[in-house]
Amino acid sequence: MKPIEIIDVDVSYGAKKILEAITFHAVRGEILGIVGPNGSGKTTLLKAMSRVVARDNGEIRLDEQGLDTLGHRELARRIAVVPQDISIGFDYTVRDVVMMGRHPHIGRFASETARDLEICDRAMRLANVADLAEASVHDISGGERQRVLIARALAQEPKILLLDEATSNLDISHQIEILNIIRGLTGTITVISVFHDLNLAAYYCDRLIMLKEKRVVAVGEPRYVLTRENLNAVYGIDTLVKTHPLTGRPYILPVYGRAAKDRLYENVHVVCGGGTGSDLLYALREAGFRVSTGVLNVFDTDYATATALGIPCVTEAPFAAISPGTREDLAQCIDAAYAVVVTAMPIGQGNIENIRILEDYPDKPVILLNSGGNCLFPDYTGGEAEAIVRRLLDRGAIPVERIEEVLQALTSRA
Amino acid sequence: MRRTTPIVILALACTLLISMACAVVLGPVSPGTLVTLPSAWMIVWDVRVPRVIAAALVGCGLAVAGTAMQGLFRNPMADPYIIGTSSGGALGATLAIVLFAGTGRPMFAFAGAMAATFTVYFIARKGGRIPVETLLLSGVALATLLTALLSFLMYTSGRSLHQIMFWLMGGFWNISWNDVFIALPILVGGVGIYLFARDLNILALNEEDAIHLGVNVERAKQILLALSAFVTGIAVAVAGSIGFIGLITPHVMRLIVGPDHRFLFPAAALAGAILLVWADTLTRTFTGDMPVGILTACFGAPFFIYLLRSRMKA
Repeated sequence: MKPIEIIDVDVSYGAKKILEAITFHAVRGEILGIVGPNGSGKTTLLKAMSRVVARDNGEIRLDEQGLDTLGHRELARRIAVVPQDISIGFDYTVRDVVMMGRHPHIGRFASETARDLEICDRAMRLANVADLAEASVHDISGGERQRVLIARALAQEPKILLLDEATSNLDISHQIEILNIIRGLTGTITVISVFHDLNLAAYYCDRLIMLKEKRVVAVGEPRYVLTRENLNAVYGIDTLVKTHPLTGRPYILPVYGRAAKDRLYENVHVVCGGGTGSDLLYALREAGFRVSTGVLNVFDTDYATATALGIPCVTEAPFAAISPGTREDLAQCIDAAYAVVVTAMPIGQGNIENIRILEDYPDKPVILLNSGGNCLFPDYTGGEAEAIVRRLLDRGAIPVERIEEVLQALTSRA
Repeated sequence: MRRTTPIVILALACTLLISMACAVVLGPVSPGTLVTLPSAWMIVWDVRVPRVIAAALVGCGLAVAGTAMQGLFRNPMADPYIIGTSSGGALGATLAIVLFAGTGRPMFAFAGAMAATFTVYFIARKGGRIPVETLLLSGVALATLLTALLSFLMYTSGRSLHQIMFWLMGGFWNISWNDVFIALPILVGGVGIYLFARDLNILALNEEDAIHLGVNVERAKQILLALSAFVTGIAVAVAGSIGFIGLITPHVMRLIVGPDHRFLFPAAALAGAILLVWADTLTRTFTGDMPVGILTACFGAPFFIYLLRSRMKA
């Protein structure tokens, strides 16, 4: 039996369609994340599941039972909702608020029993608010209040827990604390949560549903949903999707600003290595240059950056000197480039060819980016590299200190 | 629950009993003179006892209705007098006086109170919520209309004018045992409202949250409004429109016993009864039976202004 199943659901507010043909189901005991841009209908979807908003058509089933056949109290015994931080007008204690979670279990003519108190205590311990039981909800922090709302939801003893961006107003440590509590519940409780933070969603969710403009565009494990293509199609941003080195989950790095593909006007070749060129590669591409780089070995940080940015890169096997074939590829890049930028990379016998080749191009503009000051390069060639750099400077290479100056130098000449 | 709450409620209950005893003893005829009069028994049993009981019941009813409305509207400015329930009840009672010489007064008062309450409720509602401003404004607007209708009735009625004035000012003269029996259903309505104490606690958060916790919000609101109008209607039928008891007592009691309606209701009910028993005793003893509504308004209106100011600052 599926704990909750949504079949072909449409929702609208007045004449405005909010959700269209939504179909998916949750698997018992999983954390199912709902992601999507603002206005894609995430919160409304949650509200349709908790029956706060009515559907136009379609069906929602809880354990094969129609949502609409359940009474108010029965529904609250099955589904609990943790809202975003709510303001509580009156001066209740934490225990009062958590006890409200028992409301659907206590008859109108009955009052709470020892068992209800016990369940509240357990819920407060699970949500880590037991110490605050007698405190006023006005005197505790936002993170604590959010944990109180989780305790209240747990006191409902629900089968399904819905969270509406329950952590988005909190700082990262409180977000993690609360999501760890939530993850500790799974197995017994099915959790469906709206997420704004894609990386938190990627880490904490077993599966994700991605919404865009009223519709589901992707469902599945985070690594299949949070792809560069999907993120571009849904959020309209360029991203780098990496694998988090510790969790093995996808990790999303937004590429700030939009890729300026239509502004490409010059080829620039970057000679870099050891991470000295990463920010330059990014800045050049953002500024609209068609960039190439190399020669780099495939273990180099700058190689990883170039690949992620989609920048063509001349490569060489690790620990090998630049071979004649590779040198030919490099020469082609330099031929095509309007200018060459050399960063203050460490130079040894393995990569000295990268700058030695520049002496074959006496008319090619060269910019030396040295963020560090006078000592140009960490030189492991016994002075040969330094000699080449001096000759480059003598024939008119431009020494600069900052990336902005590189861009200035390139655009003023273009 | 605060640890002091049971003590507070017990103390209030004792105070009410003592107050009622004092109120029976005190009056325009002083205790010293009373014992010498041959009509002493009649004065006490036929005049003072029903009057004190009626005052206690009406005070209790107005306080409970006020507490329920404040919780329901999540708005500490709500009160049967301010949102027009009392005016509706008074108009209903006036109609009964003009048309049927006072027969069916409680039914008419109840119908009037109910109609006025639900009218304000629907006017003030904006997207499922009842903002303070629209609530107060629609209450004022409706009260103006009801006052005009009342004035019209007074203008045309002639000989019942004095009786109608009675409803407008609110008071307990001329109370008989019969009125006490009319007032008794206030207790039934009060118990009915009390059964929704937990729902009101949850509604105080917000309506969506109340749905999540299994409260049938729309039905709870309708039942509570109907019960509040019922209680207020009866109170008005018995004693005319007495303002501000329903505003002040829930407020003061919330400060003392906290916001939990399971304890707030009994505390406010007892405090409302005490307040009105003393207000009535003071007016009939020292001011020649001035309508007690004048006294409650004199204390209540400044309190209301104080609330309004402190809310504006917050």
